[in-house]
Amino acid sequence: MLENEVEIKNSDELLKTVEGLKNDGYRNVTMICLKANEGHEFIYVFEKDYQLKNLRYFLKPGEKPKSISGIYLCALLIENEYQDLFGLTFEGLAIDYKGHLYLTPNSPKAPLA
Amino acid sequence: MTTVIPFGPQHPVLPEPVSLKLEIDDDVVVGVLPSLGYVHRGLETFINTKDFNQTTYVCERICGICSALHGITYTRTVEKLFDTEIPERAQYIRVIVGELNRLHSHLLWLGLFADGFGFESLFYECWKYREEVLDVAERICGNRVIHSISKVGGVTRDLTKEHIDMLLKMCDSLETEIKNIEKVFVNNYTVKQRLVGLATLSKQVAYEVGTAGPTLRGSGNAIDVRETPDWDIYKDLGFKTAVEKDGDCYARTKVRITELLNSLTIIRNAISKMPEGEIEVRVKGFPTGEAIMRTEQPRGEVIYYVKGNGTKKLERLKVRTPTFANIPSLLLMLPGVKLADVPIVVLTIDPCVSCTER
Repeated sequence: MLENEVEIKNSDELLKTVEGLKNDGYRNVTMICLKANEGHEFIYVFEKDYQLKNLRYFLKPGEKPKSISGIYLCALLIENEYQDLFGLTFEGLAIDYKGHLYLTPNSPKAPLA
Repeated sequence: MTTVIPFGPQHPVLPEPVSLKLEIDDDVVVGVLPSLGYVHRGLETFINTKDFNQTTYVCERICGICSALHGITYTRTVEKLFDTEIPERAQYIRVIVGELNRLHSHLLWLGLFADGFGFESLFYECWKYREEVLDVAERICGNRVIHSISKVGGVTRDLTKEHIDMLLKMCDSLETEIKNIEKVFVNNYTVKQRLVGLATLSKQVAYEVGTAGPTLRGSGNAIDVRETPDWDIYKDLGFKTAVEKDGDCYARTKVRITELLNSLTIIRNAISKMPEGEIEVRVKGFPTGEAIMRTEQPRGEVIYYVKGNGTKKLERLKVRTPTFANIPSLLLMLPGVKLADVPIVVLTIDPCVSCTER
């Protein structure tokens, strides 16, 4: 458990919370993806006044994650990274490299999955 | 009618491979798509084969320029996981080596930048001064760029009186030299013609698009991780965040020059306040839980996340580097810029592709 952490239950709540954080003046710092219970766990990291705020969201197996790049444009790179490394498919990505941000066609597929 | 032309991955001004697909109308950029992946090394996967102590050395090899700060950030994150306080002297040594890293990184960048707009003699001058820093770093750490000064629980080497004398001498000579090159970068007519008003990023946009380091501070945001409560040692070292308001290439350059002078102040103050004593504590056991820690690298804030599962190997390491945070800002800075100015704008974020592609 990280400090200042909020658990998010579903993708709609995630988008709503992220939008609220943007309105409150938080900046998007990064996002961490972990394997958990056959699915994936995301930790979204935001920052304001040198304080980090973490949102933890569990993505069920087979579920498609929703992109937050429509709210924070800068999230597009990290979401594309996880498409490459974990084989995920984000819905609504501002720029979709379709699993080829880092990986070439003959690279290993989803090496962190 | 627009044309798409490739910029990079091999380009005379780019020290490392990043490719930009530029959409050009006449000679003005109207769209840009960055393309990465030329040097991706999979280090976040590689650490699964190493124990948490060996991972320090893997992290240092993420980047050859800010290697010490990668090592320092990683070890601070693992120490947070262990809830370990390291000796005060070790903290000061980390700060001094970290600032040496900043000095040689900024001098390298200023040289490359001068070369980027065709000022060859200024390029040589900046790199000549960088050599002085590297020589001192080599005497202190044993290596010029991969310093390996930080270890979980403290530092690997102590500073001797000879090292301290050398550091103080370097600070004195560099101060004069930096003030000389500052005159050129800040006052030279040709340099100003190339930089002032170029690729302006407003305060609000720089903040919202998640930029870091001098790119963020050059747009008027006084955000520097060295001011966080997490790294409280800096509050006694006469540190003041360098900020410029204009948000253009000129402002980003001025921020870096001010930071060079700040680093000298920090090193001098750290030497005067550094206590005697131990330089490490023993850290026992294997890490469990999660921790996030960040520090201010020359290019901006770097963020480390580690997850330990009670074995000697970490379950997950995640590194967010400053260039990774600054690349999206190119999508907003480049449109409207002339093709001939693209190299300068790209250089002002100080791109480090090996950091980006861990």
